[in-house]
Amino acid sequence: MFYAPDTAPIDLPTFKSTISLPYTLTPGKAAGTFLAEMPNRRIVASRFADGSVIAPAQDFSPKDGEEPVELVQAPETGELTGFTRVDGVVLGLVKLDGCRNAFVHRILADMADVKVGQRVAAQWSASDEGTSILAIEGFVIAADAPVGEVKPLVGPAEPLGVINYGMALHYDHAYGPYYGRMFDELKENGVVMGVRGSNADEALLPPREIDDITHKRTGTWKACADTGTIRACSLINMEVYGQTRPVPYAYAEIVLDGASTKMIHIIEIDDLEVAKQQIKPGTRVRAVWTKGERKGAVSDIERFEVIEG
Amino acid sequence: MGFSQVAVLASAQTELRPAWRDAQHIDLISSVVTNVFKGTGLSIDDVDFVIDSGSDVLDGRSISNCGFLGALGAHHKEEARVEEDGLWGALYGVNKIRSRSSSIGLIVAYSKPSESNIDLYWSAMVEPFYQRPVGFGQKAALGIQAQRYLAAHGIKDDALAEIVARRWADAAVGGKVAMGEAPDAAAVLAGTEAAWPLTDLMISRPLDGAVAVLIGSEDVARRTGRPPVFITGMGTSMETHALAERTANKLDSVANATRMALGKAGWSSGAEADVVELSGSSVVGELMALEGMGIAAEGHGADVATSDKVNRSGGALPADPIMATGLIRLAEAAKKLSAPVAAGASAPSKAIVHGTGGVAMQTNCVFTLEV
Repeated sequence: MFYAPDTAPIDLPTFKSTISLPYTLTPGKAAGTFLAEMPNRRIVASRFADGSVIAPAQDFSPKDGEEPVELVQAPETGELTGFTRVDGVVLGLVKLDGCRNAFVHRILADMADVKVGQRVAAQWSASDEGTSILAIEGFVIAADAPVGEVKPLVGPAEPLGVINYGMALHYDHAYGPYYGRMFDELKENGVVMGVRGSNADEALLPPREIDDITHKRTGTWKACADTGTIRACSLINMEVYGQTRPVPYAYAEIVLDGASTKMIHIIEIDDLEVAKQQIKPGTRVRAVWTKGERKGAVSDIERFEVIEG
Repeated sequence: MGFSQVAVLASAQTELRPAWRDAQHIDLISSVVTNVFKGTGLSIDDVDFVIDSGSDVLDGRSISNCGFLGALGAHHKEEARVEEDGLWGALYGVNKIRSRSSSIGLIVAYSKPSESNIDLYWSAMVEPFYQRPVGFGQKAALGIQAQRYLAAHGIKDDALAEIVARRWADAAVGGKVAMGEAPDAAAVLAGTEAAWPLTDLMISRPLDGAVAVLIGSEDVARRTGRPPVFITGMGTSMETHALAERTANKLDSVANATRMALGKAGWSSGAEADVVELSGSSVVGELMALEGMGIAAEGHGADVATSDKVNRSGGALPADPIMATGLIRLAEAAKKLSAPVAAGASAPSKAIVHGTGGVAMQTNCVFTLEV
């Protein structure tokens, strides 16, 4: 049991994975207008019924959820109310003149010159940052900058509708002792290994330390055959995001001979009508191994094929 | 004593390590779920429901608990996921038992931040139009919070370093945290800058690990072999997402959560606790939490931070398995209360426990425990 093993290797190989998600973000009217006004070098803020103003513009008050009554133009000057430095970049809370709140932006100064209460002024980027807030490159120290005023926003730009956005998250997953051996056996010996359930001879695939159903320790290792029986399947004839091969194909849950759990894999299809007759629960299948050197991955089995007759 | 229907029966945790490279999530989870029953006379078959806390973003898969059900012992049981620290999972579980719909619950929390990029995890939590592009994230938020707090109260970073060193020394004694030599105050100050004025060691250290806590009704608790530790009060509260709009230099949400918990427990102050287990995302966050819980006056958290009743487990600074940190605080506090009394010695009888989540401790949860 992994309670406190003697060794703690940290240099084991990991399974690398990336989740890349495309988004179309909706900024709404206030943020959409703020961003649309970035190329025009105007800072858009929200004014509430009580006269208070927050910048950058929001469609709601972060304090009480109130809706603003109008969008206004904030001045480019203000003062610093807090700061830090991360990875060499100074970030500060900037409270623009006439506004009740502060927001985070880059402070283009050395830490030695930065202090709370310092007057600052926006510095617009020399490069084209489009509708990003980085059109404001940051705020520079401006000790003598006169106090600016909030003004009406004359002829506001159309708010941005949606913003295409992407986020990629990278992972190094540990294999653990059970998946580790399963993939090693696949690679070295071309054998699919499971472990026996806590009270059965049939193997669980993938193998694991604790039987899911009984929550008792699983049994000994067992090699499963590379033949099996389809227990559930679906013929895929529609293209969707994330597919790894052209349609049509069958997605099948296959119980390998010697195992008790279903393994998910692919069966190739030449003819949909034939496939409908042939690929169904109870159909016997065999693994078609990927040619060339095995990698120790599920893809070492290229696909399954129906055993004729 | 406040509501006394629910008790902590037992807990189990894995060692907390920078990287559990030789174990998957399910290995860590099944380990604690198996171990938590030892000595209780109970088994997984007695458990009415399982509540688990983890982060899909950290795990790298959506609704990741679905893949972990077997390891959780949740096969064909009522199971629910709380995407927040496990202390909120415990809150959910306690309320289920208080409603008398169940009598025994298993609360599990786990984390493997070593498998992903922790800065991206925090970055994903901030606003995408205004905050993410300028590089704002957890470190920057904690840095700004610390800068303002230190300036407001005239506290120097060497005072912070002493507290951090004490936490590491205590964690080393506890033996549940994988570490080399515990850093002294000078090493804390000499560390790399994480977010000025905070060095790396002044920010909580993300680690891999899992914890399981078994809770039960009073009836069950009286029949298990250990002195029951009752959960007598609970409270939660959340700050606004906008860092600059929060009250400067204090955590109102900790104070609110504490007020809720104390109201139920019938305590007049968090300072009544003999044991304080809290989760600071930074050393300054710890001080603000101590002040919010009423254990120190505003600006005086540092005066009590190294007292013998505060975070003797080491707290979150040397070991922050994100999503499990608060539940570990509950487990640690309950163990201190349930330990047999040495002859003639006075034993602690009250504990206050704190968990947190979000950027710069946006959301907070407080429990009171009593024996």
